[in-house]
Amino acid sequence: MKKFLIYTVKIIVITALAAVVLDGLYTAIFMQSANRGKVETVVNSTAKKYDVVILGSSRANNHFVSQMFEDRGLKTFNYGMSGGHLFEASLMLKLMIERKYVIKNVILEADLNLSGEKKSEGISALFLPYIHNSETIRKHFENEEDFCELYYIPFYRYIKYDEKIGFREALYTVIHKKTSMLDNLGYYPLFKTKGANMKNNIVNLNPLPHNKYYEEIKGVCKANNINFIAVMTPMCENVKGINYFDKVKKAYPEILNYENVVVENKYFSSCGHMNDAGAKLFTAKIINDFFVKK
Amino acid sequence: MFFNSLAFAVFLPVVFFLYWFVFNKTKSTQNALLIVASYYFYSCWDWRFLFLLVFSTFLDYYTGIQIEKGKSEKSRKFWFWLSILVNLGFLGIFKYYNFFAASFSELLGSVGIKASPILLNIILPVGISFYTFHGLSYVIDIYYKRIKAEYNFVDYSLFVSYFPLLVAGPIERATHLLPQVKVKREFDFQVAKEGIYQIIWGLVKKVVIADTCAVYANAIFDHYTSMNSFSLILGAVYFAFQIYGDFSGYSDIALGVSKLFGLDLLRNFNYPYFSRDIAEFWRRWHISLSSWFRDYLYIPLGGSKGGLWMKIRNTFIIFVVSGFWHGANWTYVVWGFINAVYFLPLLLSNSNRNNMDAIHLKFNFDSAKVLLSILYTFSLTCIAWIFFRAKSITDAVLYLKGMIANRDFSFQYLDNGRYSYELLLMIVLFVLVEWNNRNKIEPLSGKRSLLKLALAIAAILALGTYSDYKEFIYFQF
Repeated sequence: MKKFLIYTVKIIVITALAAVVLDGLYTAIFMQSANRGKVETVVNSTAKKYDVVILGSSRANNHFVSQMFEDRGLKTFNYGMSGGHLFEASLMLKLMIERKYVIKNVILEADLNLSGEKKSEGISALFLPYIHNSETIRKHFENEEDFCELYYIPFYRYIKYDEKIGFREALYTVIHKKTSMLDNLGYYPLFKTKGANMKNNIVNLNPLPHNKYYEEIKGVCKANNINFIAVMTPMCENVKGINYFDKVKKAYPEILNYENVVVENKYFSSCGHMNDAGAKLFTAKIINDFFVKK
Repeated sequence: MFFNSLAFAVFLPVVFFLYWFVFNKTKSTQNALLIVASYYFYSCWDWRFLFLLVFSTFLDYYTGIQIEKGKSEKSRKFWFWLSILVNLGFLGIFKYYNFFAASFSELLGSVGIKASPILLNIILPVGISFYTFHGLSYVIDIYYKRIKAEYNFVDYSLFVSYFPLLVAGPIERATHLLPQVKVKREFDFQVAKEGIYQIIWGLVKKVVIADTCAVYANAIFDHYTSMNSFSLILGAVYFAFQIYGDFSGYSDIALGVSKLFGLDLLRNFNYPYFSRDIAEFWRRWHISLSSWFRDYLYIPLGGSKGGLWMKIRNTFIIFVVSGFWHGANWTYVVWGFINAVYFLPLLLSNSNRNNMDAIHLKFNFDSAKVLLSILYTFSLTCIAWIFFRAKSITDAVLYLKGMIANRDFSFQYLDNGRYSYELLLMIVLFVLVEWNNRNKIEPLSGKRSLLKLALAIAAILALGTYSDYKEFIYFQF
């Protein structure tokens, strides 16, 4: 039995060593990543200058046409992330500041995402490879329930989120396989989808009165002299509970309501996402309201 | 509680510690602990079904004794049939009632009679097919005087409910397991070490091979209408490895865990995809079930002793029943039928026992023929697996039709954002590892075992599929 217990200890040590080695290897790989996604690009970058940085969920990613800002001479990048929440938008901005980005304006899509403070499992996972290399990331995750496991157990984060940062992603990073995430200056155009559901029900959605991460973004902008522009972006015509946007306005008077600037279904790919034509109309309105001297 | 869960990773060391350090005084204390652990293990799925397990155990224990004690043939027969009918009755109600009721209603509907069958709102108790078969083999063996009835209820209970085999086999025989539980087990380092190798290799098969293949196989099978020929072929191959990795992985873990407690279970898989014909495949795949049907159905029906038609009839019966054992769906019946069709030419030409020897390859024509026959057999099993995996027979037929008629062999991007061909390298690697170790129970033992163990653990950590957590397929049977 003594021999077996020693043998078991050996296996445990081998497992722990394997986890440490794999953790180191994966982290080293992700530290080299530059052309796979927005998170990696920001983490592995140094000081950049932007006139406009766009943040938010897919409703930012698919709605703000960066090139239209560039055409006006405004250096812009759309850092909106499909599936992301304000948790990730806030962390993204803090990382940019940590990397000494100089930003003049931040446009934040703040509407449906104000209803929660939880992280988006899929998107927040993309930050985890760097948790030991960035104080900002570590602090941002510190209050999360599973922080101890993610931070202290070697390789655990890569196992838990293997679909996002597992073997496949690590392999593609090694071979420098490009994605389309960074194309079009971060803007991801959608097109008309046949038979798309042009209805939505947001009756049960309520904006949190003091969304922690929204306030955090606002605070970071203020502390770094960044002009903060928060907007609500359009939804299709047939939405039950459209007064949600009025509730947002009531709770956060500084957020500008652009929900109704594009309404016709022909400008939408799905109820919550405009197509390229709709995005262009919307972006033109935003540029006109904030970046054209009158 | 799955073998690949954190709960089991805690449960196993606790039971192991108690077994060897606290309850190791006598075989009775060892058995008592294992029964408590097994009942706890089973209750983790649904404690309400514990009563079924206890009832089944008590029924077979009691009828076994009554059969042995029976003074007249009439009395022996009574107890024998009571046990068979009640056991099969439970299986029938829980597993097959809804299927038969719905099928009967459909049949009536097809001749214009409308019927609304009364369907039961019940879930299938985990492992019922397995522990029912344990009990059945025990009672049948007593009836035919192959074994003596077990009078110690604790020993018998452990035979039925022993947790490593409780929910997905292997289907044990009283002749094999009961003698082992009747003596006190002494710890054997070599046996326990073999157990560890088997557990780890089983985990590789489950989380690295089966669960990864499942991601691709599901994407292909669920959208088969939009898949080209190449993707459909790959889908069938991926499913073949998914079900092999899943079930043989489970069996390996079960056998390995059992070795830690000093109990040897029946081997369930012997590298089935290296079979040279279908008969050999069935001697290597789910061995405990195939041999169960051979001993308790095929041989009692007359086996291959009767005339030609008798042989054919019996072959079709055991394959179709074996298919039906897997689940209450016509797809399983067809899967069994197809295997019977595959088997028939071998039976008729008396060549079903041709490939009993081990495979040895050299650089010659005969070896090339062997490799081709392995590939041919694997292709046949893949075609049959399509019926096993498909939701309906129509789906399976359309899947096959697409495979042949589409004729587009380009790489396809799947619905889950992956290319259909991505897994091929991993499967080739897995096949090579198994091929090189086909004469051993698992590939990790032998020279440089620690290094191989480290690589296997690294593979489990790095290549395992965890985000799309999957249970073992055979639990549903």
